[in-house]
Amino acid sequence: MNATPLSRRPLGCLKTSLRHVRQQKVLFSRSMATAVAAKAQQKPSPDALPDHNFFRLTDQKTKKLRSAFAVYTPPTALRGPPTPTSKNSKPDKVVPNAPIHGRVSGLVVVPSDPMPLLHAAQIKKMDPTGARTALFAKTRNAARVGDVLMVTHRRGGEPFAGVCLSIRRAGIDTAILLRNHLSKIGVEMWYKIYNRNVAGIEIIKRRARRARRARLTYMRQPKHDMGSVADLVHAWKKTRKVLTTRGAAKAGAKAAAAKAAAAAAKGKK
Amino acid sequence: MLQLKSLLNCIDNSGAAIVECVMIVGQKRLASIGDRIVVVVQKQRGALAEGMSASTSANKVKRGDIRHAVVVRTRQKVTRRDGSCVRFDDNACVLISKAGDPIGSRINGIVGQELRKKKWSKILSMAPMQA
Repeated sequence: MNATPLSRRPLGCLKTSLRHVRQQKVLFSRSMATAVAAKAQQKPSPDALPDHNFFRLTDQKTKKLRSAFAVYTPPTALRGPPTPTSKNSKPDKVVPNAPIHGRVSGLVVVPSDPMPLLHAAQIKKMDPTGARTALFAKTRNAARVGDVLMVTHRRGGEPFAGVCLSIRRAGIDTAILLRNHLSKIGVEMWYKIYNRNVAGIEIIKRRARRARRARLTYMRQPKHDMGSVADLVHAWKKTRKVLTTRGAAKAGAKAAAAKAAAAAAKGKK
Repeated sequence: MLQLKSLLNCIDNSGAAIVECVMIVGQKRLASIGDRIVVVVQKQRGALAEGMSASTSANKVKRGDIRHAVVVRTRQKVTRRDGSCVRFDDNACVLISKAGDPIGSRINGIVGQELRKKKWSKILSMAPMQA
């Protein structure tokens, strides 16, 4: 703390050095020592900082606290294992420089569980209209497992259609598993629904009855396999008259946006 | 996730039907799409019976041959950079020469898009589809 004045103290001259010390004594008794001493009195609780983190230098003659310093750990390390209050869904609290359960801390926000907030913020950023969230919400009109979906890529390429085998709901990481047969080989694709590269997700065909499983992995077995959904996609395109409109094909990048909007409309329907 | 003794389908018209992985080229433990492997031809295409070895009309390779190959499909999921995954129902490869040129002249079946990243453009151009 006072390394620089100590180093600059003239060693050869006794009178000047004594004067120096006298000046410093006044300084220390005013500012540093008192402040730290006050803090040291504040922490009598057993959960407080371990004592070895607090280093004090007492004066040999007067037995007064000459100088002191403490080694602080960051608040995250201080908090350690989750406290019982964090498990309950209590509102977040701002603790202004007060001890949390006997621990000294700075001005820190202690959220009960930060992850839902983070997910919500990211979803709002990636899906401002809320269309994608609505498309896979647990509502009657939303896409469900067993429906045939088509994912359009923003990077061009053929759109991938397939029967939805499962929906992995995990906040911003929510993903869907589509299965199709391409050139007689089964192909499965996972797509993140909030991915920016996914321009649009459309429902080609709804399952007649609600699937009674959450994950239709049995549809990989030859007995239950749906095979290719190319004919379904073709029929759907005919009804939508996607093939007859010429403007949409020329629009290029705008077409992708339009498809996203269509998907949004479908999700909201 | 192909390793020693893995059996793969060969999807080109080189004459091999089923091949066995004997080595993965490079410092690798497991091969994925786009990786180069060394294979042994286990089954020939068009070989009807066990003893029929005369049916080598168009077959460029025969049973027991050791060749290089490129993995084009895997049952194991392959994750892409944007978080999407692709998984096929079988493991498949295409035979190549040591120089890297395909032995067959045609590929029947879909191949993974990871080949583009691994610079197998010849195989990609021969393939009818990519996913």
